[in-house]
Amino acid sequence: MDRTLTHFIAALRNADVRISPAETLDAMNALELVGYRDRAFLKNSLSLVLPKTADEKETFDTAFDQFFSFEDISTQTATSETEQAGEGEQGEGDGQGQGEGSGGGKGSGGAKKGKFAGHDEEEDDLGPGEMSEPRSELGRLLMLESTVELTMRMAEAAKEARLEEIQVFTQKGLYTRKIMDAMGLADLSREISELRQSFRVPDRRLGQELKKRQNWLREQARDYVERQFLLHADATGRRLREDLLQKVKLSNVEHRNFRLIQEIVFRMAKKLAALHSRRRKVFKRGQLHVPRTLRHNMSYDGAIFDLRWKSVKVDRPKVFAICDVSGSVASYARFMLMFLYSLDEVMPKVRSFAFSSDLAEVTELFERNKIEDAIAKTLRDYSGGSTDYGQAFADFRKLCMDDVDNRTTIVILGDARNNYGDPRTDILKDMYDRAKRVIWLNPESRSTWNTGDAEMRKYTAYVHQAEECNSLMHLNRVVGNLLRAAA
Amino acid sequence: MTDIEQLAESVESLKDGFEAHRYICSNQIATAVYLAYHLRKPVLIEGPPGVGKTELAKTSADMFGLPLIRLQCYEGLDEAKAIYEWKYGKQLLYTQVLKETLDEVLQGAQGFAESVSRLHEFGDIFFSEEFLEPRPLLKALREEHGCVLLIDEVDKSDHEFESLLLEILSDFQVSIPEIGTVKAHREPPIVFLTSNNTREISDALKRRCLHLYIPFPDADLEQRIIHARVPDIPPELRRQLVTFIQDLRDLDLKKVPAISETIDWARTLLLLHTESLDAELVRDTLNVILKFQEDIVNVDAEITTLTSKALSAGAR
Repeated sequence: MDRTLTHFIAALRNADVRISPAETLDAMNALELVGYRDRAFLKNSLSLVLPKTADEKETFDTAFDQFFSFEDISTQTATSETEQAGEGEQGEGDGQGQGEGSGGGKGSGGAKKGKFAGHDEEEDDLGPGEMSEPRSELGRLLMLESTVELTMRMAEAAKEARLEEIQVFTQKGLYTRKIMDAMGLADLSREISELRQSFRVPDRRLGQELKKRQNWLREQARDYVERQFLLHADATGRRLREDLLQKVKLSNVEHRNFRLIQEIVFRMAKKLAALHSRRRKVFKRGQLHVPRTLRHNMSYDGAIFDLRWKSVKVDRPKVFAICDVSGSVASYARFMLMFLYSLDEVMPKVRSFAFSSDLAEVTELFERNKIEDAIAKTLRDYSGGSTDYGQAFADFRKLCMDDVDNRTTIVILGDARNNYGDPRTDILKDMYDRAKRVIWLNPESRSTWNTGDAEMRKYTAYVHQAEECNSLMHLNRVVGNLLRAAA
Repeated sequence: MTDIEQLAESVESLKDGFEAHRYICSNQIATAVYLAYHLRKPVLIEGPPGVGKTELAKTSADMFGLPLIRLQCYEGLDEAKAIYEWKYGKQLLYTQVLKETLDEVLQGAQGFAESVSRLHEFGDIFFSEEFLEPRPLLKALREEHGCVLLIDEVDKSDHEFESLLLEILSDFQVSIPEIGTVKAHREPPIVFLTSNNTREISDALKRRCLHLYIPFPDADLEQRIIHARVPDIPPELRRQLVTFIQDLRDLDLKKVPAISETIDWARTLLLLHTESLDAELVRDTLNVILKFQEDIVNVDAEITTLTSKALSAGAR
């Protein structure tokens, strides 16, 4: 049973829910307390122990439903009551398929054949009434109608059959067969055939009922394999895609991958935030810490001469982001803004500016809207017009040059293609003198920086750092440096 | 079987207990308290402000009949304010006293070594329980019959403080270098931590807690909550105002009204002897549920539609 839980946890991890071994142990303790009988209760309990953010809870909900989804056995058997004859037929055929399957190892073939090779034996209508107790373990479980326990059993069987190694969809039949075998199908089939030949009515009644449930179980096993296939095979595919997306040029990202990329950005940002939030504080002289001073000076007879100070926080980095949002660079601006604003925990003071010809501050837009909306609005409102870096710098000077101080880092994102206008390097120089650092990120590769109307050579003279930046990997490195320098 | 054990016997009994204390909760919430009690694990409660996170801890204390010890977190909170502090003034006073009586203490001491060893006896006294000032966390551990410990708004505290909490949360003990480890009594406290998500809580802390997310309630639950909290309000008006609030939450607002606002509004309407909502009344009392002028302006245009929608829902 525990193995099923660990298997479930593995699937959760596959779906990007971070679960530590300690939490696995907690889950087991919770499981011991709660039991498997009440599905909703189990779900509630596990959702308290395993997922630890609101997002993870959502993932957990779907994963739990997928993993432990078992149609209700009683409703299923009730509906199949009407097709009793057909059921019996298929059951008979399956019995034959079972023999063949275990002998030849071609489960799916056996099952398929069973459908056609069934005898025309009609079930006697025995009506409701007393039933004898099933003897085989699987039979007992089936009659108990405990769906969760059955699921656990099935998951265990799947583990034995190494279902997690399933690679291609053609293997589904094979794995279904293997799982049924591992769950004790042989015993159950033997019991059923014995029961059906019995003279006692309760025995035969049980035989019929068991057969019905056996078929239902087979359906479930097939569904289960299907789901597991999706769960495991899908995840590896996704991981591969994510790895690729981190390296691909951002302007080449297809629209359908935006959501995924956004997730990656958030995750990267979270990692960075976790890394840097810890060394935000540096100890420095500040206010007198009275209790500690008194305590410390007790050894000097209470005469206070060795002072103790409270620690003082160093300011968090102040970042001004100036983004070119004209057509050629817009897609990069999108991701950089996304990155910067995902980091608000460690960089609460981001101010952003967008321009193509005229520059405007968009900070407020980001404060009031969700990141995606703000980006969309920014691109909509400012991306028209031809690029004019000179005008943009002039606007910047007018707007907030006074706010630039020696703690400010200015990040400029743009391709420096100025349409042969005045580059206004004098303003950039002014920024360079005032700010702590000026970083220029250019989405083009270094070799094309100075071709055509690009003014990169002139600008590089007045920045502390100029970097090529056109993939998530690059972005991650640049922003990481930003934080490291600020700490 | 004690009262507490009886209450915590099943999720249903807990739910009934909460209901008796006028706290209407979902299954998820009751399960959290159930697991917290049986697994002896702290519960980290997250959710938008005003959904009853702090209230849950308070009601639990009420229901179990245990004292509530509350620690409000803020930036700069440190161990001296949260766990323990030495009574340094008293220590200083005693040093003076000791100095004056030093002659008596050392009387008859043979040589330097013996004098020092006699002095050492005093050294230990200064750092004993006598001079220890327990703060909320230590107090909670020392509570003989258990208690409910509420660490409120833990996201407001610093990262360092979070690390301080780890020991007490996982082992229910506190290490004081001068004295040793203080362990909880037979009944460890039931711990609730609340967070408004102003920043991400560290993984280490999360790992040690059960994680409960309380979302805004659905219409049905909210009606029951209003019924429990403001029992005098006519049922039709209750339905109307809950529908109104639920619709309001779907709008793009700076601060969405929470349950506490709904309750306040219900009380306001009751005070005004309202029989049924109308657009004019809603406009006049909107500042009870919306806390930003911008939001009030934005909603203003929608009031008539929302009200008529609420009225038709209430009539059902």
